[in-house]
Amino acid sequence: MALFTFRRELDPVNALFRLQSELERVFENPRGLDLGLSGRGVHPPVNLFREGSDVVIRIEVPGFASEDLSIESRGQTLSVSGKRSQEPAAEGAYHRRERFAGEFSRSIQLPRDVDASQAVATAKHGVLTVRVPARAEAKPRQIAVNAQ
Amino acid sequence: MTQTNTEQNTRPGRTYAPKVDILETDSGLRLWAEMPGVDEKSIEVELVDGVLSIRGRVATEEYANLEPLYTEYGVGNFETRFRLANTIDGEHIHAKLQNGVLELELPKVAAAKPRRIEIAG
Repeated sequence: MALFTFRRELDPVNALFRLQSELERVFENPRGLDLGLSGRGVHPPVNLFREGSDVVIRIEVPGFASEDLSIESRGQTLSVSGKRSQEPAAEGAYHRRERFAGEFSRSIQLPRDVDASQAVATAKHGVLTVRVPARAEAKPRQIAVNAQ
Repeated sequence: MTQTNTEQNTRPGRTYAPKVDILETDSGLRLWAEMPGVDEKSIEVELVDGVLSIRGRVATEEYANLEPLYTEYGVGNFETRFRLANTIDGEHIHAKLQNGVLELELPKVAAAKPRRIEIAG
């Protein structure tokens, strides 16, 4: 059981990173695809988008094949975990080691208007995409106006 | 193998340096570069004057209709360069891309491989 709840907005380091990314967003090249980072420093990094009324989640998982990944939904929480079967090289010496190795697990809290049980996931070129469709009642519905 | 970071970028858009692992063995170097979102057709590996360039293009079109809600990583192209030692056999570099990870095998030239010298008794 967690002793305290981690609140992102209270963490001073994250606040500094947020400030830095805000500044970067203002001063850097505006032509690129700049999403303006909301948070960072957690592995693997997650991006959350809206496409129409669906929620689209993209997670960078280079080196993980689709069979190394598992996704579970419980209520409005989506848990993504990964385990790489690759063994570390027995011989030789590393000059540089920047890549993440081992297992990961992340939980994502979804907005209430999407149905996590209907999520569809695809892994392609080291990017996992999870599409969570809107609940039927949350979808915009055209109401016909009847002539009297 | 040293990284050369002195050149400026002239292409539009954001460029990120991939996360890299480099392992040296007796037979050569193995390099892994993480380039999530890059496919075989959008990657370039080039060796010019002892400088190994790795470039990968990410299809930003896939993000056209997406409106960001919460973001932890930026999306852009990948680029990095390494100056290779002359012990590397540039003719026999082998590259493979799998699940967004580029794997390079850079064999050493025969003269640079360790050789056990027998001592006559």
